Amino acid sequence: MAYSDKVLDHYNHPRNVGSLDKSSASVGTGMVGAPECGDVMKLQIRVNEENGIIEDAKFKTFGCGSAIASSSLATEWLKGKTVDEALQIKNTDIVNELSLPPVKIHCSVLAEDAIKAAISDYRTKQSSKVNTLAEQTVA
Amino acid sequence: MSAVCWNCGGGAPGAEASGRFCTACKALQPPATDYFEFFELPRQLVLDPKDLEKRFYALSRQLHPDLFSRKSSREQEYSLESAAVLNDAYRVLKDPIARALYVLKLEGFDTGEQTTKDVPPELLEEVFELNMALEELRMGDTDVLPQLEAARLRFENMRDETDAELQTKFGAWDASHERNILTEIRGLLNRRKYVTNLIDKASHVPDRV
Ligand code: FES
Ligand SMILES: [Zn+2]
Repeated sequence: MAYSDKVLDHYNHPRNVGSLDKSSASVGTGMVGAPECGDVMKLQIRVNEENGIIEDAKFKTFGCGSAIASSSLATEWLKGKTVDEALQIKNTDIVNELSLPPVKIHCSVLAEDAIKAAISDYRTKQSSKVNTLAEQTVA
Repeated sequence: MSAVCWNCGGGAPGAEASGRFCTACKALQPPATDYFEFFELPRQLVLDPKDLEKRFYALSRQLHPDLFSRKSSREQEYSLESAAVLNDAYRVLKDPIARALYVLKLEGFDTGEQTTKDVPPELLEEVFELNMALEELRMGDTDVLPQLEAARLRFENMRDETDAELQTKFGAWDASHERNILTEIRGLLNRRKYVTNLIDKASHVPDRV
């Protein structure tokens, strides 16, 4: 199957490969996998806790070219967006941008799921922080 | 499967087309689309491969298109269709994993478009770590073959354990047809998929730089 030029570009020069400190309260981590192919993807965001803007995004994907390209593109798109804006990213946006064929749609779904998972991890951390603060104030 | 024969209409008493051939006029009926039905087997996850093979050869003889060359064109068509279904059905049913995926599909499980939610997070974490370790091994400049070999053996053990668990669940479902067992089976099949992926990666000798 032929990959589009954009996929090849991201595949050969993936942006933002790496990891962020998982234990930091400002970092959200999303770990997702596609059971039908056995591929896994980890995507992380670091959020400015004052203004909710995503300052950094990293990924590491063990999977096909389309999955690598989808997550690479996702990290590019995430940077500079607010968390709420980031939630608007749809897998179809990725499909269009990378011209993914129908059999590769699940690879882009993986990237969307990873974004959602990273954001929800970040939010869980933030709310538990608030809770701890509240408990401390009460006590 | 239609209960009325396309040929004689099943008008006569006992002229039912519930099987492969009409009981009255003996005309070949269109093939069943359910592979188990086609093989005249109950829907089950544990199958005796010898028995299945015997059925396969018997049906191949019974349905061979040559036998229908002097029958009506409709029957010829059905014999061709049946031969095709026979091959597909045999390929799926003789492989325990393909068979299980097929049963999941028949039972209304969506096996194609699954999402992460169907995979336990610990498994993802583990698969990710294993991939990381494998990648490091493969990038290492020392001779990594022994380590890759060890990793492969470990994954093969994991696969064998999963297979043993699957075997148990297969039997349990056949006995009870409880839906939650199928959910567990789907989880195990996902796990197996991830593990066989790792085996492939560990079996591939890294390119020398
Ligand atoms: S084939 Fe699995 S993510 Fe692309
Ligand atoms: Zn008939």
